[in-house]
Amino acid sequence: MTSTDQLPTPAVSIQGMQKFYGSFHALKNIDLTVEKGEKLVICGPSGSGKSTMIRCINRLEEHDGGRITVLGTELNDDVGNIDGIRREVGMVFQHFNLFPHMTVLENCVLAPMLVRKIPRAQAEAAAMRYLEKVRIPEQARKYPGQLSGGQQQRVAIARSLCMEPEILLFDEPTSALDPEMIAEVLDVMVSLASDGMTMICVTHEMGFARRVADRVIFMDAGEIVEMADPETFFGDPKNERTKKFLSQILGH
Amino acid sequence: MSNLWRNQKVRNLFLQGLFVAAVLLIVIGGWMNAQQTMQSQRMISGFGFLHKSTGWDVNFSLLPASANDPYWWFFVIGIVNTLFLGVLGLMLATFIGGLVGLARTSSNAMLQLLGRTYVDFFRNIPLILQVFFWYAFVTRLPSVRNAIEIGPMTLSSRGVYIPALNVGGWYLFAAALALVAAVVLPLWTRTTRRIDKPREERRGMVLAALFGSLALVLALLWLGRLPETPLIDVPQLQGLNMRGGLRVSPEFSALLIAIGIYGGAYIGEIVRGGFKAVGRGQTEAAHSLGLSPWQTFSRISLPLALRAMLPILANQYIWLIKATTMGIAIGFTDFFMIVAVTINQSGQTIEAIAILMAGFLAINLTIAAIFNRINKAIALKGNQLRS
Ligand SMILES: Nc1ncnc2c1ncn2[C@@H]1O[C@H](COP(=O)(O)OP(=O)(O)OP(=O)(O)O)[C@@H](O)[C@H]1O
Ligand SMILES: [Mg+2]
Repeated sequence: MTSTDQLPTPAVSIQGMQKFYGSFHALKNIDLTVEKGEKLVICGPSGSGKSTMIRCINRLEEHDGGRITVLGTELNDDVGNIDGIRREVGMVFQHFNLFPHMTVLENCVLAPMLVRKIPRAQAEAAAMRYLEKVRIPEQARKYPGQLSGGQQQRVAIARSLCMEPEILLFDEPTSALDPEMIAEVLDVMVSLASDGMTMICVTHEMGFARRVADRVIFMDAGEIVEMADPETFFGDPKNERTKKFLSQILGH
Repeated sequence: MSNLWRNQKVRNLFLQGLFVAAVLLIVIGGWMNAQQTMQSQRMISGFGFLHKSTGWDVNFSLLPASANDPYWWFFVIGIVNTLFLGVLGLMLATFIGGLVGLARTSSNAMLQLLGRTYVDFFRNIPLILQVFFWYAFVTRLPSVRNAIEIGPMTLSSRGVYIPALNVGGWYLFAAALALVAAVVLPLWTRTTRRIDKPREERRGMVLAALFGSLALVLALLWLGRLPETPLIDVPQLQGLNMRGGLRVSPEFSALLIAIGIYGGAYIGEIVRGGFKAVGRGQTEAAHSLGLSPWQTFSRISLPLALRAMLPILANQYIWLIKATTMGIAIGFTDFFMIVAVTINQSGQTIEAIAILMAGFLAINLTIAAIFNRINKAIALKGNQLRS
């Protein structure tokens, strides 16, 4: 047996990643490994590069230096690699980004049918299963504009799940929602976590982080400043900037 | 009473009634006034002149025309000419506009520059100048003897000669309608919500609609073909003249090119605006689901952009139809020109202008109605949208 057989490939491995917007250094020398099945929560002040970092993982942004490997495939200019990775990595956005001209069901079956070439009947059956999982099967024939924000976000999660991805990225999935809708979305995310999904979540829901995260990351000014398990992270943060951020966000 | 007055519905009804009464008063007053004036000047009013023969001829007509024909037939010819020029002009402008708009929204810097230059150039020169320019251009093509041949087409200063079909008038008209059906029916079958079947199960119906209509076109052409002539009549030079084929007059060509190019610049901007209105979030979501660039374009960007474009496009189409009246500047016998000559020859100013206005109203209201119907059919449902 070789050593690669003993060490499972990590879900995501980022080494020395750099990202520039013009002359602005948005991400500085990022190193991060996420194992399969791991739940990672990323927090940090606005503009610290959280979105940029997770958007690099499925190439919505292009990194300028270092290496990103997703499920053993390196992200580079190879279109085949990018397509392959996007098939295995789902993403949930702050503003849901549903397709407003399609029903909920059509939103869910579009990618499985076009990308995975699954026949419609099968894709619809799977979509209904995932809509049940996010607890809105009765909305399948409605259009996104006819749903509340919380329902739309749950549809967006179901749409991602329909591709049966290995990894799910969340970019502030609850920050565009009213307080009473946040809980319904977080509930779905918690149940996903208990199913063993690999999750990378940018969120300021610290209750969620405490409950599900294996590790919490704090970012500031394009750097990973602190990384620890939730207990250490909240109970005994090392970095001054982390302490200040936590006192601001938990203080009131 | 004061209670009644405070009722919003009653109040609206009352104000509406007042408004209609005022409009009626003005219209009736104006009409009586005109009658009186005309009587005092011994002018004959009324539409009796419609049945008199015109005594003059038209230089371009899709329908048979002679100087013995009555005025009403000339008006029909004018409307058909305007519609023919308008519809072909809109199609050309839409095609050019689509290309220009896509070039402007593409990520290729060269294409962007080309698209922008096109728009800046053609949008900022008055249409009438462009009409004159293209008229000068097409009338300065070589003479018939030295005509330029492009495939079966022949370009000369006397006009463009294209192959024609030796098919009887009504059959040709019916075949043209069937051709329109061949475009509209498959599209409708594919998109309507009336048929409760997913897209891929509709493929058979869509193909049936397409090939059924096309078969009908061929059948009509075959049935209506003129005896003892080839079905397709290719223009040929014989001596000093062209024989056979269809002559497209320089006036028509110039107007078609001008409207297509000028309209294309405006429509290009509308297309660009439509694509810019599509939220970046939607295309990012499509990419993150693994859709290819083409799938993202055809399933997400294009359908959403079309919805944003259609209302403005309807405006532009109505505007371009009105622009066909430029024909009078170079002597193309469109509806407007025929009305103008009628006024000149018959003196029936008010009647002729009433017919002109009614004609354009009918055309443009039809366009507006068609677009409203399409808009309604594809409108996004619900009001909770975020981008
Ligand atoms: N397309 C862009 N062009 C230029 N600068 C950008 C672009 N996108 C992001 N930035 C900059 O990069 C930095 C990181 O942005 P990012 O969106 O990743 O922050 P964030 O941590 O997600 O913030 P927030 O909590 O507000 O979402 C910011 O300073 C931002 O201004
Ligand atoms: Mg962000």
